[in-house]
Amino acid sequence: MRLFAALLAALLLFATPPAGAQPRPLVWGDTLPATLDMHVVFDVPSQFVLLNAYDGLYRYQGNDLVPWLAESHTVSADGLTWEFKLRPGVKFHDGSALTAADVVYSFHRLLALNRAPAAAFSPVLKPENVTAVDAHTVRFVLNQAYGPFLAAMPIVAVVNPRAIAPHVKNNDWGAEWMAANDAGSGAYVLNPANYQARVSLDMARFPDHFMGWGHNRNPINEVRSRPVMETSTRVLSLMRGELDSTDSYLPTDQVERVNRNARTRVAQDQSMRVFLLRMNNRKAPFDNRDVRLCFAHAFNYEGFNEIILKGLVVRNGGPNPNNLWGNPPGLEPYKYDLALARQHCDRARAAGAPLGREIEVHVQTELEQTVQAAQMFQADLRKVGVNLKIVPNTFAGIVTATQQATTTPDMWVHWVSAYFIDPENWVGQMYDSRFHGTWKASSWYSNPEVDSLLTRARTSVVQAERQELYAAATRIVVRDSVDIWVYNTVNLRGLSRRVQGYSFSPVGSGGELRLMSLSE
Amino acid sequence: MARYILKRVLLALPALLGLVLLTFVLTRVIPADPAAMLAGDAATPAQIADIRTRYGLDQPLWRQAVTHVRQVMTGDLGSSIFTGRPVAEEIGFRLPATLELTFAALFLSVLFGVPLGLLAALDHNGPVDQVVRLLSVGGLAIAGFWLAIMLQLVFSMELDLLPLRGRLDVALGTPPTVTGLYLLDSLLAGRLDMFGNALKHLVLPAVTLCLPGLASIARFTRSGVLETLQKDFVLYARAAGYSPFRLAAIYVLRNAVTVTVTQVGLLFGALISGAVAVEAIFDWPGLGTYAVQAILAADYKALLAVTLVVGVVYAVVNVLVDVAQALVDPRVAEQLK
Amino acid sequence: MKRLLRDPVACLGFLLVVFAALVAAFAPWLAPYPDDAFDSHLLQRLKPPSAEFPFGTDYLGRDILSRVILGTRNAITVAVSVVLAAMLIGVPMGLVAGWRDNWLSDVLMRVTDVFLAVPQLILALALGQLMAPGLTTAMAALSLTYWPFFARTVYAETRRLRGALFVDALAGLGASPARILLLHVLPNAAPAILVRATIGMGFTILTAAILGFLGVGAAPPSPDWGLAVAEARQHLPESWWFATFPGLAILLLVLGFNLLGDGLRDVADPRLRRSRK
Repeated sequence: MRLFAALLAALLLFATPPAGAQPRPLVWGDTLPATLDMHVVFDVPSQFVLLNAYDGLYRYQGNDLVPWLAESHTVSADGLTWEFKLRPGVKFHDGSALTAADVVYSFHRLLALNRAPAAAFSPVLKPENVTAVDAHTVRFVLNQAYGPFLAAMPIVAVVNPRAIAPHVKNNDWGAEWMAANDAGSGAYVLNPANYQARVSLDMARFPDHFMGWGHNRNPINEVRSRPVMETSTRVLSLMRGELDSTDSYLPTDQVERVNRNARTRVAQDQSMRVFLLRMNNRKAPFDNRDVRLCFAHAFNYEGFNEIILKGLVVRNGGPNPNNLWGNPPGLEPYKYDLALARQHCDRARAAGAPLGREIEVHVQTELEQTVQAAQMFQADLRKVGVNLKIVPNTFAGIVTATQQATTTPDMWVHWVSAYFIDPENWVGQMYDSRFHGTWKASSWYSNPEVDSLLTRARTSVVQAERQELYAAATRIVVRDSVDIWVYNTVNLRGLSRRVQGYSFSPVGSGGELRLMSLSE
Repeated sequence: MARYILKRVLLALPALLGLVLLTFVLTRVIPADPAAMLAGDAATPAQIADIRTRYGLDQPLWRQAVTHVRQVMTGDLGSSIFTGRPVAEEIGFRLPATLELTFAALFLSVLFGVPLGLLAALDHNGPVDQVVRLLSVGGLAIAGFWLAIMLQLVFSMELDLLPLRGRLDVALGTPPTVTGLYLLDSLLAGRLDMFGNALKHLVLPAVTLCLPGLASIARFTRSGVLETLQKDFVLYARAAGYSPFRLAAIYVLRNAVTVTVTQVGLLFGALISGAVAVEAIFDWPGLGTYAVQAILAADYKALLAVTLVVGVVYAVVNVLVDVAQALVDPRVAEQLK
Repeated sequence: MKRLLRDPVACLGFLLVVFAALVAAFAPWLAPYPDDAFDSHLLQRLKPPSAEFPFGTDYLGRDILSRVILGTRNAITVAVSVVLAAMLIGVPMGLVAGWRDNWLSDVLMRVTDVFLAVPQLILALALGQLMAPGLTTAMAALSLTYWPFFARTVYAETRRLRGALFVDALAGLGASPARILLLHVLPNAAPAILVRATIGMGFTILTAAILGFLGVGAAPPSPDWGLAVAEARQHLPESWWFATFPGLAILLLVLGFNLLGDGLRDVADPRLRRSRK
């Protein structure tokens, strides 16, 4: 082996070392979204493009919502009419000015394409009700009051219609072109020349960004995004200096090792991303509350959180992240207690719940933690006489299955990430029966009382009132032990030590490049 | 000869049509619903239904199949439902990456396989023969994905000799695209530094991928040489005082060509399959990983195109192999008539 | 058999296969902790090899030695059933297609070509997704992708044998084609089939491991070797033992089958050396 290595080394001697004296560009190793069109895709990876190449009316900085393209907004007392005042002097990457008409166009495009990012808006907003009052004022008139409207605002990228217009084909709103091109105003400009979907994306700093660069003396000029498919390769590449960042879900077993390396460190930030085991409440035996309680007490929370995940997560006893408003005070998480679990299961058996059948739990094979949680749970459930079967699946497969209660798996394991920071994103969309058929609501829980609380919370714009309502709904959902809530994520992102100014937000996982700089 | 080639090509066509239909049926009965995936996270059932209509996914399967075959006939592979980009464009980028990798692996297989086979044959049933045999059969037995990780740990992490992933250092950018093969493109652009860098990146994945091919080529060279050495004219030559080494040198070349040509066609399929895992681990942006991503995302358009393209490449390679064989050995062409 | 025993390398292969078969047969009694097929012991996760756990423990604290032993059964079951199923499809097709040159023969061989043209692993992956992923699915997918090799081998053998004198003689005596094929052609083609089957076993174990690695093979907590390597990759290089021992097990068993196949090929028929694949 050694001889072979020496031979190889000799062979490679003629290869010159990497050239170039200018600072190495930042190499970002997080996952890229499927497309660059921010009106088509809306998931965790898309935030990287959204936050850096585009701007929205509002934006999350840390856990807070701050005015961004808008200077301010007003809302009518009935919660139906919202007016946003735009900041003057904002320029798109092509140099043209960003006006209210462009915001209107963006919303029209979003609603016409009707893809993931439109989901929060299409039920309450008709395209004709988005209008420009003047060059700097946009008015939205909603069909019904919608409390999370402002919280969802950062989802929508404002795009440049003048850049898109020449590329519109068959009335597609320029969708094919936008999938691989730039029409934004954000702090970085996407370079379409080197773009390969899910393989590489290059970006250059936009010096005329409206927020200016005064906050950052030494901004990063060149960014190369190079997602790495395999986790082990990703971590090794970071440690070897081929990457400046991993994704923000570093395996907990690697944290110590990455921190020990002279070149790298791990940024740890509590996020808003709840890990849970789903139960299909519509299907026997999970239509029985005792069964659900039995399962909730059979999960070894401490073993999973503290030993397998090495304490790099925070126990979370309900659907909403602990660090969000709208949680009932003094919510008591379920405890791992096999004796209690056995009691509940026995009671359920006595009531005729079919606990003898094999229960299927679907895991997402490519996400190791879902598999580990299921295996650990399986071993514990055996002790209370329940036979759990682990079924490997993909997110695509599970999303398809959850469209109907009959095809939804008995159980499945997943996270609910922060799409927008509002309890609506968690308890609201997970347990209101109106969302049945979406993966988020795949417990098929239906409780008229909860439905009514959540509807009232959704349609109110008074924060104090909404807080009460969400808390009340959460209390009932937890009492009913609808699902098994395990932890709130601490995002773990491996970074090279030359990356400075990394600043975390649950939305986008700290991928906002305009705040970062490189020390060589 | 021309008629033979024509006949060979015509024979490949029905197989390709069958392939198009087979892959269509396969991909469209995958349980994951493309509409649900298209609609994305947080989509409402109404949105999903809307998308299903818009993409014609609510049509009966046979009609979708007809539309698909008609589209493919006109050379239109459609757009990926996942990335929204034309599939042909995406494959155009990824096919050269896979070809570069598989050709490199094939090259290494021949480079090491032929001499090993020759050595084994010259020491028929002797210790060298047994060792080569053990090694070559062992090469067939190693799980590529396991070896890949081990090579990464030794040559990148411990010895710090070779890069871990990708086709080029990120800081170097990419050579101007002519063929899509970085080795060739960097030379065409006169960038020797890039060429060296691309070569470095190619070493570990190609070494991982070459082992199965190396084993079969060594094996077939050995038996080919043995057979030649037992031929009457060789026996006469030996009797006349030619050394076996000299004989081998004369005949092995021709033999090696025949054997290699025969094996290339067969190995090619195995190489493409093997490339799936190797590409994933070395982060090589080729067709294998493209197919895996397509499967995970229920991107049936992309998956259809990939299987078709690989099928076509496979068919083309095999036609070329048959033609080459016919050129070397005219009896083959006779047989087909 | 005697010639096989004179060949030390083939003998090694034979011994490896027999050893694996014995381990598989007595796995539950051989494994020090047979319950570790499904149990988990969080407090002892990722312990290096020791007297208590000769191969160390995995990420759920399970004894790797036990799991490697228990996984042997998986590997052999997969190998044998896939190869048998592939033979059941491929051998009759090869016999029928090779017997006469007519439209049926053409159709059968074109179908074989179609399946050969699809990259096996991609077809298996797609099939794996199509049916629920799991070991049965993986086995079905592998059988569906491996039969063309049997069809090809048997086709070539049948074509070679159908011109033989004894076949003409039998036909002259009024034997039916079915009788000739089954009782006379098939036994003569058996050595070639046997060689292909042995090599196919090794190949199948390897491909099943790749499927397990890509998440379409055996489902956890199965002690499947490929799955174990997949689970282990996140823990490299710290917990080297986690990936190494299952990886070695794959290597040895596949090596065993391949060496045996190689030896058989030499014994069976020198002409086969020149046959394609």
